[in-house]
Amino acid sequence: MSVIGKTADAAPTGAREYLTFRLDQEEYGIDILKVQEIRGYEPPTRIANAPDFIKGVVNLRGTIVPIVDMRIKFNCAQADYNSFTVVIILNLRNRVVGIVVDSVSDVMELTPESIRSAPDIESAIDNSCILGLGSVGERMLILLDIEKLMSSVDMGLVTANE
Amino acid sequence: MAETYQEGSGAGADFDLSQFYQIFFEEAGENLDQMEQMLLNLDLSSANDEELNGIFRCAHSIKGGSATFGFSDVAELTHQMESLLDRLRRHELQPIPQMVDVLLESADASRSLLARHQAGGQGEAVSTTSLVRRISDLAAGLVPGDAASAVVAPPPPAPAPVAAAPAPAPKVSAPVVPGQPRQLEIQIGPLDRPEQADAIKELFRDIPGLGSIRDVPGSQANTRVFAVETTSTNDDLLDLFAFHVSKEQVLIRDAAAPGDAAAADADDEPVVAVDTSGGEAPYGFFNGAPGAPHGEAAAAAHAPVAQAPKAAPKASAEPKVAMQAQMESTTIRVDVKKVDQLINLVGELVITQAMLAQNSRGLDAGAYQQLLAGLADLDRNTRDLQESVMSIRMIPMSIVFSRFPRMLRDLANKLGKKVELVTLGEATELDKGLVEKITDPLTHLVRNSCDHGIEMPADRLAKGKSEHGTITLSASHQGGSIVIEVRDDGRGLSREKILSKAQERGIEVSDQMSDADVWQLIFAPGFSTADEVTDVSGRGVGMDVVKRNIAALNGSVEIDSAEGYGMKVSVRLPLTLAIMDGMSVGVGEEVYILPLSSVVESFQVNADDVSTVAQGSQLVKVRDEYMPVIALEKIFQVPRFDLNKSSNIMVVVEADGSRVALLVDELLGQHQVVVKNLESNYRKVPNVSGATILGDGTVALILDTGGLVRRARH
Repeated sequence: MSVIGKTADAAPTGAREYLTFRLDQEEYGIDILKVQEIRGYEPPTRIANAPDFIKGVVNLRGTIVPIVDMRIKFNCAQADYNSFTVVIILNLRNRVVGIVVDSVSDVMELTPESIRSAPDIESAIDNSCILGLGSVGERMLILLDIEKLMSSVDMGLVTANE
Repeated sequence: MAETYQEGSGAGADFDLSQFYQIFFEEAGENLDQMEQMLLNLDLSSANDEELNGIFRCAHSIKGGSATFGFSDVAELTHQMESLLDRLRRHELQPIPQMVDVLLESADASRSLLARHQAGGQGEAVSTTSLVRRISDLAAGLVPGDAASAVVAPPPPAPAPVAAAPAPAPKVSAPVVPGQPRQLEIQIGPLDRPEQADAIKELFRDIPGLGSIRDVPGSQANTRVFAVETTSTNDDLLDLFAFHVSKEQVLIRDAAAPGDAAAADADDEPVVAVDTSGGEAPYGFFNGAPGAPHGEAAAAAHAPVAQAPKAAPKASAEPKVAMQAQMESTTIRVDVKKVDQLINLVGELVITQAMLAQNSRGLDAGAYQQLLAGLADLDRNTRDLQESVMSIRMIPMSIVFSRFPRMLRDLANKLGKKVELVTLGEATELDKGLVEKITDPLTHLVRNSCDHGIEMPADRLAKGKSEHGTITLSASHQGGSIVIEVRDDGRGLSREKILSKAQERGIEVSDQMSDADVWQLIFAPGFSTADEVTDVSGRGVGMDVVKRNIAALNGSVEIDSAEGYGMKVSVRLPLTLAIMDGMSVGVGEEVYILPLSSVVESFQVNADDVSTVAQGSQLVKVRDEYMPVIALEKIFQVPRFDLNKSSNIMVVVEADGSRVALLVDELLGQHQVVVKNLESNYRKVPNVSGATILGDGTVALILDTGGLVRRARH
C-alpha cells in the first residue's frame, strides 16, 4: 500500500485521483485510495440507540460493516432507498465503513493548482474535514478528508475516548 | 527434542515435559530473532531505555527458560549477556560497538546450542568460553585491548575441559536398552550438606517404576554413593535429581563396568560412552560443558563429573534422529490470522451453501437430478470442511496440563507438602485462544489448592488421611462446553472462617446463607482465607481475577467443598470463542441472538403474571421467584409495524448468578452462530456482545446477557 501511495504522490504533476459522488445537488470528491469497493444498498441491521445517520451494520463477506447515510448526515432534503442507491465501502486505517450516497459520478484527476482552499462556511460538518474546492470546468467539487470525517467523534463510529 | 529426555522414563506422565520443550524452543527462537533485530537497530550514541530493556527482556526470557529445562550452557551464556545488558540499561556502562558484536555472536551461539538441544543433543556443542569471558570483561567495564587488566575481571572459567571438546576416541559402555533394568552406581557430591543426597532416595521411593536404590558406603565424607537398579536413562535420572542436587554434582557409572568411570577420573578426559564401531564421527559429549558455571569450573576436578553422565543415551541416538526429521515435516507453524481468515471464508461458504440449498428446494427432482446430487455433495463437503477448519484451532488440554507437574512439585517442596497430581482427559480439545487464556486462572487454582487446600503431611496423618495430598485436574466435554475441574482432598473451605472474614471486611453475610452463596464470597476482591501471607498465595488477589478472566471467556466457575474432605472448582467454558450455540428470538421485525448457555427456560406469559413496581419497572413471578422483566422492544427501541402483534414470551436468562426475564415476540430456533466482533469496524454497543451472520446473509446482534442482568439490577 505504502509503495502505491508514494508513487501517486511522486507523480510529476502531483495530481491525485478522486472518486466523485452526488448528494442531492452537491458533488463531492474523496481520495480514491480510500475506496475499497462500491456496491448496491441492502437493508442493514438496525442498531439501537445509534444516531439516525448510522443505518446499521451489514455483512460484507464475513465482516460486519457499519453503514452511514451521508445524505442524512449532510441534512439532504430526502434520503430514499431504491435500486440506484449506492454504498461506497471505505477502508480507513484498518476500519471498514460504508457510506450511502445518491450516486457515484466518476473518477477525476485533480492537480494541486485546480484545488482552492474552502472559505469558512457554515455547514453540517466540521470545516477542517473539507480539504478544498476543486473546479473541473463548470463543476465544483467539494473535496472531503473522509478519513478525518469518519473518525471524528460526532460521527458516532468510534467511542469518544478512542 | 523432548523425547530424548523422556524415553524409557519410569516416571510416566509426571515428567512429560515434551510439550514444554517445543514451546520453549519456539519462544526462544522468537526471542533471539527479536533480540538480534533490536541489537541491529540500536543507536549506540543515544540508546533509549525502552530498547535496552527490550533486549534485556529477551535475554532474560531465554535464560529463564533454558535454566528451567536444564540447558545450562544456554542459561550460562544468556546469564552473562543479561548481566552486561543489565549494566547497560542501568546506564552504568556506555554501549560500544564491541558489545553489540559480542552480543550478536552470543545470540548466534545460543541459537546453535538450542538447535543442538532441540535435535536431542547431537553434534558438537559450540564453545562459549571465550564469549563468556569477553562479555564478562565488557560487563566489568574493560574495553578489549587493555587485556592486561583482565585479571581483575571475575575469574574466567578454566578453559581446559572445554578445549578437550571433540573427544577424539570415544569408548563405549554397555548400550542403554530401554526397558531393561540396569545396574548403576551413582555418586553425588561433593556436597556441603550430604543430607541433600538423601532426597534422591525418596525419589526412588515416591515414583513407582523408577527402580531401587541402596546406600554404598562412600569413601569421602562429603559424597554419597548409591547402587541403583533402574530402567530409566541417565538423562531421565539427572532430570529427576536436578530437583535436589545440581547436575554437575552427579556422576552416574555403569556398575557392570566400573573401569570406565575410573578411567574417566584418572585421565581427566571425560568420556564414558564408547563406540565400538569406531569409524563414526564422534558425538559431542559435552552438553553441559561449555556453560558449566564458571565459578566451579575452575576446580578442574569437577569437570568429568559434569560431563560424563550425558554420554550414555547416545547409543540409541539414531532412531531419534529419524523421528525428529519426521516430526519437523508433519507440522507447520501458521499465523493464527491466516487460520481465522480461513474460518471466515468457510463461514461464508456455509452461508452460500445454505442459500443454494434453500433456492433449490422447489426444483423438480427428476428434471434436475444431477444438480440436486451436486448440491447434496456440496452440503456434505461444506460441513466436513467447516469441521476440519475449526479443528485447526483446537489443541488438546495436555498443553495446559503439562505445565503443572513441575510447578506443583517445586511448590510442594517449597511448602514442605507432599502432593500428587492426577490428570484426566488430557486429550480433550479446546480452542487455541481459550487455551492461552485459561492457563493463568488454572495455574492460580492449582496453586491455591496446593497452598491452602492440602495440609502438611503430619496434619494429614493426624486426620487419618494418607500423607500425600492429591490434586486432580480433569477436563471433559459436556454438551457444547468444556468443563475443567481442579479437585483436591485437602482441608476444604471453612464456612465459619469465610463468614467471619467476610464480616471483618464489611461484606453483608448471614448464617442462613446457602453453602453455594458462601463459597461465592471467596471471589470478592481482596478476599483471602489464608492465616498468613506466603509468597505463594494469600494476598487475596486471585480468585476475583480468576472469576473475572473466566467470565470474560463466557465461562463460569463453581465451587463445591466439604470441610475436611477437600474442594472442587469447576470451570465451564465454551469450546471456542468463534462459535457459540445461540437461540434466536424475534422482536418486531428484528432477530436477536441469545447465548444458549445463559438461557434457563422460556414460557408464555399472561398479562396478569406481570406486576409493576414503582417507576414502572416490571416483575414476573416464576414459581417462587420474582424476577425483573426486560422488554427487548423497549431497550432496543424496536419499531412496531404490526400493532396486533405483541411480546408475550418470556425467556429467562441467567448471568453473574442472577436471573432476568426477557420479553420477546417469538422464539425462532437454536443454532450455532459464528461470533463476529462488532467493535473492529464500529464501536461498543450497550447490551450487545457481538454480531453474527444468519443463514440469509443478514446480520443479527448477539445480546450481552451479563450486561442486561446488570442493567436490571440498577
